[in-house]
Amino acid sequence: MHLPVLSLLAVTQLTRLTPIDLIILLLYFAVVLFIGFYVKGSTNTSEEFFLAGREMTAWIAGLSFVSANLGSLELMGWAGAAYQYGILATHWYWIGAIPAMLFLGIVMMPFYYISKTHSVPGYLQLRFGEGARGLSAVSFALMTILMSGVNMYAMAVVMRTVLGWNISSSIWIGAATVAIYVMLGGLRSAIINEVLQFILIWAGAALIPILGLIEAGGWTNLKAQIAANVGSNDYTHLWSTLGHFKDNPMGINWVGIVFGLGAIISFGYWTTDFLVVQRVLSAHNLRAAKMAPVLGAAFKMAVPLIVIVPGLLALSVLKNPDGSIMHLVPTDIARATGQHAYDEVLPLMLIRYCGPGLLGLGITALVAGFMSGMAGNVSAFSTVWTYDLYGAYINKKASDKHYVAMGRWSTVIGMLISVMSAYILAHASSIMDYVQALFSFFIAPLFGTVILGMLWKRATNAGGFLGLLAGTVSSITMFLYTSTGTDAHKMQALSRIALSPDAKPMAENMFRALWSWLICVIVTVIVSMLTKPRPESELNGLVYGATAIPDDGATSLWQKPIFWAAIVFTVFVLLQFIFF
Amino acid sequence: MAEGTGRGESLSIWFFVGIMTLAYGLVLLPYGAYEWFSGHEAPTVLNNLHPTFWWGLLLFIFGAFYTLRYRPRPGDKDKV
Repeated sequence: MHLPVLSLLAVTQLTRLTPIDLIILLLYFAVVLFIGFYVKGSTNTSEEFFLAGREMTAWIAGLSFVSANLGSLELMGWAGAAYQYGILATHWYWIGAIPAMLFLGIVMMPFYYISKTHSVPGYLQLRFGEGARGLSAVSFALMTILMSGVNMYAMAVVMRTVLGWNISSSIWIGAATVAIYVMLGGLRSAIINEVLQFILIWAGAALIPILGLIEAGGWTNLKAQIAANVGSNDYTHLWSTLGHFKDNPMGINWVGIVFGLGAIISFGYWTTDFLVVQRVLSAHNLRAAKMAPVLGAAFKMAVPLIVIVPGLLALSVLKNPDGSIMHLVPTDIARATGQHAYDEVLPLMLIRYCGPGLLGLGITALVAGFMSGMAGNVSAFSTVWTYDLYGAYINKKASDKHYVAMGRWSTVIGMLISVMSAYILAHASSIMDYVQALFSFFIAPLFGTVILGMLWKRATNAGGFLGLLAGTVSSITMFLYTSTGTDAHKMQALSRIALSPDAKPMAENMFRALWSWLICVIVTVIVSMLTKPRPESELNGLVYGATAIPDDGATSLWQKPIFWAAIVFTVFVLLQFIFF
Repeated sequence: MAEGTGRGESLSIWFFVGIMTLAYGLVLLPYGAYEWFSGHEAPTVLNNLHPTFWWGLLLFIFGAFYTLRYRPRPGDKDKV
């Protein structure tokens, strides 16, 4: 899920790389380019190019699934959010991910997998017809290409901020490398690089919480130091401060977190965003497809260690040269005062503990995260463009070879459009918030459409299309209502959307998702009841109750995805109590 | 079949994971040893714990295990 804001701005260059750091960075580039050329020989058919041949094991698909969401944009943004809001930011990794990932694996994956769809818009076409597919495909293609540009621009800005590198060089080197390896190997290249990136992120970032907790004297001491430094215990409790908007630094309540984030945004993102679902569709059988999100969820639960803990540690250990506590500030203030911004917390912590070599490893992990973000978006774009737009509306009867060629060309053209959008962002960085907000317009209503399509036989084509349209339009309308006009108007609008005068902007996203999902569901239900249902025979393989779910082949308890999902869910619940 | 890289290929995705972390271990381990034993530690917090050396060693062991475990063997391509 995308953080509303990540807008690093260079105030001063933080550090510089030594030759040993450069060796580490260059090694990474050499490996990823080699992989692109290596897998090209196994990427000849459209199924190989767009779905990695559907031959990935549960471990590979699961790591890639979670890694596709572990880009540097998220890492740096959420580390900054942890500094700003405390441990509440962990909700985006736990309740905002784990239940949805398990639901995808156990409940939804069988329908995606046995329908043999190649994409989420493809499923919508099978279930609701061309209208829903077209709307979803166009919005998704637009969003992915813009997000690839956001990643590109963010990487360039981070490299300038941390190392003083030239913006254009970073954009073009990143874009060219990603274009080469995705064009050659398609989704297979992207998945392999995502697995490598996952390992690299841990190799590059895990030292920060380890050394940080040693410096702070352990978790208990860290909590005491944070309480002393910020003058409040609110920063280290997950749930106890969520009774009311006023009681926590984020300005949100438990309703927004549980229903807005946990039930709608999270389920929308993890179960219907094709960028992540595509990884699971590459699994080699139904059991692997069900296990992949479960394994992904297990890894996801550990991610706060390298994202949230560094942000919390910074509240305790980051000091100015004179020994006083360092206070990070919002980006616009940092620009004016020369202080460091919230989003710089991860690089600052990296520099604090990592000398030559380790610093190169950390920077390489960040670069890998950004490039993986570009690759994930551009490979998903190329699939949706080729199958759901070009193949559906422009050239329906081309050969398989032609579609693979189109996939490769759309990768290159997609990267060029991303470069263009990165340059636009470079000249008007204030629109970055809007670009990142775009995803939220579509995700919540799309979840309403897909979940009704999968679980309710009575949902009709007209109901699905109009529900999706109404949900999307209402989300955009609410966004415009709360983000334009005078400050007084914005505050009033926010208090109406979030149902409280004490709500802060973070709550707007949660409640907007909740309302737009409800509008989508209500419109879908009403229109479906007024229109003719589809015959049940047409819904086989698409809807619960009209489909005989095939056996996933598990012969023992240890092989059953539901067993492992129950274990992951139990650990998830325990974590809520431990950090309550 | 090599996992992840396609039917007919001999290098598994896990081999790439191993070779990359092994390479990083081989860069960091000697450099960390040089820093430690020559007294040229970088001026970072907790540098007295010699993180470059120990982290390099960990990556070396992890990478060596995966590289050996998933190294291509004769006849791998024929197993498709």
